[in-house]
Parts: sequence; C-alpha cells; structure tokens
Amino acid sequence: MTRLLSFFVRRIVAGVFTVIAMLTIAFVMFWAIPSEPTVFVYTNAGQHLTNYQIRLAHHYLGIDKPKIDQYFHDVGHVLRFDFGREWEGGGFGNRIDSTGKLAPGLPIAPELYSGLRVTLSLILGGAFFVLLFAVPLGTFAGSRIGSLSDRTISLVALIGVCMHPMVLGLILRSTFGHHLHWTPQSGYCPLIKPHLPHVPVGITFPAGTSFHLCGGIIDWASHLALPWLTFALLFLALYIRMIRASVADTLHEDYVRTARAKGASEFRVLRRHVLPNASLRILTMIGMEISTAIGVSIYLETAFGLPGLASQAVQALAGNSTLDLPLVLAVVMLITLFVVVGNLVVDLLYAFVDPRAGRGPVHRGTKSAAGGVI
Amino acid sequence: MNARGPWRLGWRRLRRDRWSFAALILLGLIVLACAFGGAIATDLLHHNGVDLYPYASNGNLRAVGPWTHVPDVTHEFIDSTGYIKAPPHGVKTTLFVFGADGPLGRDELIRLLDGGRASLEIGIFAAAFALAIGLVLGSVAGYFGGVVDAVIGRFTETIMAFPLMLFLVFASVHLSSAVRSIGWGWEVPSGAIGEAILIGAFTSFYPTRLVRVQLLTLKHADFVEAAEMVGASHARVLRKHLMPHLVPSLIVWAAIAVATNILLEVGLSFIGVGVQPSVPTWGSLLATTWGTFYAPQVFNSQAYTPWQTIFPTVAILLTVIALNQVSEGVRRALEPWARS
Repeated sequence: MTRLLSFFVRRIVAGVFTVIAMLTIAFVMFWAIPSEPTVFVYTNAGQHLTNYQIRLAHHYLGIDKPKIDQYFHDVGHVLRFDFGREWEGGGFGNRIDSTGKLAPGLPIAPELYSGLRVTLSLILGGAFFVLLFAVPLGTFAGSRIGSLSDRTISLVALIGVCMHPMVLGLILRSTFGHHLHWTPQSGYCPLIKPHLPHVPVGITFPAGTSFHLCGGIIDWASHLALPWLTFALLFLALYIRMIRASVADTLHEDYVRTARAKGASEFRVLRRHVLPNASLRILTMIGMEISTAIGVSIYLETAFGLPGLASQAVQALAGNSTLDLPLVLAVVMLITLFVVVGNLVVDLLYAFVDPRAGRGPVHRGTKSAAGGVI
Repeated sequence: MNARGPWRLGWRRLRRDRWSFAALILLGLIVLACAFGGAIATDLLHHNGVDLYPYASNGNLRAVGPWTHVPDVTHEFIDSTGYIKAPPHGVKTTLFVFGADGPLGRDELIRLLDGGRASLEIGIFAAAFALAIGLVLGSVAGYFGGVVDAVIGRFTETIMAFPLMLFLVFASVHLSSAVRSIGWGWEVPSGAIGEAILIGAFTSFYPTRLVRVQLLTLKHADFVEAAEMVGASHARVLRKHLMPHLVPSLIVWAAIAVATNILLEVGLSFIGVGVQPSVPTWGSLLATTWGTFYAPQVFNSQAYTPWQTIFPTVAILLTVIALNQVSEGVRRALEPWARS
C-alpha cells in the first residue's frame, strides 16, 4: 500500500512539474517571438506611436517589469487558477490620448471552462463508444485470427484511420444532419439545463413564443451523437487491432486451457480470463492517446460547430499574429492539466485492475499509427 | 553453402510474406505515379494542373465530373450583354479524367498526382529529419546517460504531454516565416520543406525514445564490452556495433511515421496553416472541398462533387495502408523472434 501511495505521489509531482515546464516553455516562446503587444491597447492599426504611448501601453499591460518578476507573477497566478483577463478587448480603443479610465479586457475563465465542458463531453462520450464497439469486435476477431470475418473487421476499421476526422465529420453531418434530419445539424447543448433568463416585470411576449432553452440530457446527447460516432470510428481501428492481438496471445495461455478443462463456457473464458488481460493494454493505450484525442477534437469541434477548448486553443495559439499572453498561458495550463490528470486517472484505474501496479516503471508502448490524425 | 547476412535473410522473408510484398509493390507504384505521373499526364492530355479552364465548372460553380471533355480554352466568351456564353463550334476539347477540382476548373487528376508528390515529400523529409535528430539525441541520452539523459528525458516527456497538433499549428504560424520560402522549382513546391522541418522537429521525440531505450539495454552487452576492451572509441562502438541493431526498429518506425506525417499534413491544411492553398497536396485538395478551420464547408447540393473527396481520400488510404503493411512486414522479416 505504501508502495502504491509513493507511486502516486511521484506521479503527481511529475505531473505538476510537467505543467510548470509547459508554462515556462510558453512564457519563453512568447518573448522569443518578436511581437508588439501595444496593438491590444491602441487598436487603431498602423498608427504611429510615440515613445511615451508605447511605455504607457507596456505599463498598462504589466510588461514593463523585469521578465523574471513577470514570470513568477503570471505563472503563479495561472497555477492558482486565477486566469485574469485577456489583453484583447481592453485598452484605449480609438481614443488615443484619452486620460479616462481604461477598459479592462475580457475575463478568460468563464469562456475556457465552458469550452472545457464541451471538450470533456466529446472526449469522454467518444471514448465510451470506442470501447463499446472495439471490445466485442476485437474479441470476436481475436478469437478467429486469420478468418474472413477477422480480415473484414480489420480492413473496415482501418478505413476509419485513413479518413481525416474533419472529412468524416462533415460527411456525417451533411448526410445525417442536413440531408436526413436525423440529428441536429451543429452546436452544443449543456448537460444541465440553464435557467431561464430573468424577465423584467412589465414586458409581455406575443402569444405562442416558446422559451425552449437547449439543454438537458436528451438535447446534450443528440447534439453530440454524430461527434461521438466520428470519434469512435477514428479510434476504432487502433483498439480493435490491440484487443485482437491481446486476445489472440492470451488464448494460448495455460490458465485459459485450465479454465476450458474445468468446463467453463467460451463466453465465460473470454469474459473472466481473457479480457481482463486485454484491459491492461487498453488502459495503457488510452493514457497515451489523451493528447491525440485533444488534437482530433480540434477537427470535430470545427466540423460540428462545437465551442470547445481545443478550437479555442487553436485560436489562442494561431488566431492572431500577436499572441495574447494571459490567454496563451491559461490555455496551455488547462490543456496540459487535461492530459496530466487524464494520465493520473488511467494510472489509478491501472492500480484497480492490475494488483502488480506500482511495483515497477509504468510500461509505455510505442506510439501508434493513428497518432498522426491528431 | 554460402553464409547469408541478416539483410539477405530478411529480404527473403519479406518476399515470402505475400501481403507485405504486395504492399511494397503498391507503395512503389504510388511513389512512381506521384513522381512522374503528373508530368506524363500533362504530356498526354496537353494541359497541366495549374491552367484554369472556365468551362470546367457550370453557372453554379459546380465542377465537371470525371471523364468530361472540356473546351480547351482558358478564357471565357462573353456575349453582347456581358454574359458568359457557350464557346463557338469547332473549339477543341481536352479530357478531364478525374473531373475538375472546383470553381477554378483545374484538372483533378494532375493535381492529385502532383499533390501526392508534395505529400510524400513532406512525409519522407519529415521522417528523415526526425530520424536525424532522434539518432543524435537518443544516442547521447542512451549511451552516455547521466545528467544529459535526465534532461533530454524530462524535456521529451514534457513536450509529449502537450498535443502535437497544437505545437505544429503554433509553429506554422509563428516560426515558419524563415523556412516557408524554401523550394526548388515545381519538383519541391515552396512551403513543403518548411512544413517537413516543423513536422520532423516535433515528431523527433519518438525516435529519440526508441533509440535511447534500445541503447540502454544494448550498451551493457558483451560485444560492446569486448569492443571497448580492444580500444574502440565511443564513436566507433556507436557506429559499428550499436547502430546495426537499431536499424530494423528505425525502419519500422519510419514507415509508420511517413504515413502519420501525410495525415498530419492533411490536418495542417485543414487548419489553414499548411502549404499555400494554390500548391496541390492531398491535404489542400481536401481542404479546397471541405473548407478550413475558419470556414468549414457543409453540404451544398448545388456544388455537390463527391469525387473531389473520394479520389484524395482513396489515395491517402492506399498509401497509409501500404506503409502500415510494409512496416509490419519489415518488422516480421528483420525481427522474426519478436512477439506480435
């Protein structure tokens, strides 16, 4: 038990180190790239700025202090989940020599947290569907290696790898959303129904006006059905092949023969003796593929118009020619934390499934072919 | 009987493996088609992949379908009221085998072949670049160990905890201005090398780990000790005694990496940070049809052109499947003792 505990303490410390290191890399990259953040203060593009105006802007953005002070200030606040405000949206606007109060930037946290909920719904639901399809198909193929059905399953699954997520997603959306109207066309509905906005007394609405706010478990699932399906199709090949290989290996083990000799049914042999062994490899794979899943969700969020964290990250890192430092740090923090926490959860599950966990270095295989989709 | 080296034996095993050998031949055909197909098709069809044929799309800007004869004119005929009219009789036609690529009316077949060349170049250059970095870093970390190993290991792990695609998108926008313009005529379109360098740099962590892990176990082997005992230098031990053991796993990795890089290129084109949209690659062909991150295109019955999706997708599919199968075959041929 103490061994397991120390294993997790080490993993958590390593995770915190990873987050801090990524934030440091982001901070250094920001200052290594030539940029002029004054554009966030003086939004009139292309105007000539005096020295005083530039220094005023730097003071206003808080970048006139020594870099090391800024580093501890910025990284410290982000690590405490105090994301602060963007540079975007603040500043003088067009009033260049205004002496009035400056407008503050947009707050970062609400938008990123709502994006995180979207991406989390997408990835968790998608992962559920991957396992739902992959476990039976992989077991079926693995217990009949070399047969026609095995080859068919492997080939069909491989097609999912080679289709780009955005193409696959847009085809599914065009077919089932726009053409057949089986599912909503795009957008996201929160799992918990939002409250009706407060209507001021005295305002009346014409009869028949409906106040249906999108939300609740049915709206949530129907809006995410196609993204989940696309996600599942993309990762299916990988997991089917792995479960297939694991099942095929395990079927030759002595304890499987023993179980059969005791008269266990084929289903019981697979469920009780073969699949638990495969689940270890599945967990390892899931741990490795978390950052890949975020890459895939960039395209799925684009294809299905979901306002998620992954597409917010692309916009923060590549949307403007001038980077918005507070936003970049917040995004890097959340995404790295997503991967780190995901890996911790996988390790925790590993300890539940495998009693030997924590006794040695965590086994990590090589990256799979589908890693590239991301 | 002559002694056979491990490479000869491996080649014999690969040739006996029907599926892998078929995949190898398919891969060779794809590479040949992409390298020379565009030029041959241009010569046979008398038009290239850059010329714009206004009559290759209709009034709704819907491109013509596969196997269409298109009037061989690169300008429109305007009637007295200013509208575009049909070309006069007697104008020669030219054949669009795979149809046109969109409203601009370029030949899809030639763009597919030229795009394949750019895609394969990106995939292969990036894998080679990643191998070069990975060999150096991995050898230093695995063979010499110590502080350098710890630093490289930590750094690698940190970078790998962040989605690769976000790194690539970031680097393509903010770092690539220096490498963007490298190009060499039509053989290596500008932007391809820059993209390959970026992809290679950010995927070099996998070969680094691969090399490091193998060297960690190999460096205590008896034959290394023996070589050191007779006075071989570190460089000689690495080059002559350790590298040959790494080659099989690096070939296997490289084949899969080329496939992965082709898919990454498609992804970068979809985000709109890949090569210029006018340069054909398999990614930019798909992005022409389906839009990019900032403007995704959805179903439009007026301009519904399925072949523009099917042809590039099938090309990517065949290449990726062939590369995967070749990688599998090479692994089985060179390391038959390893478990599947």
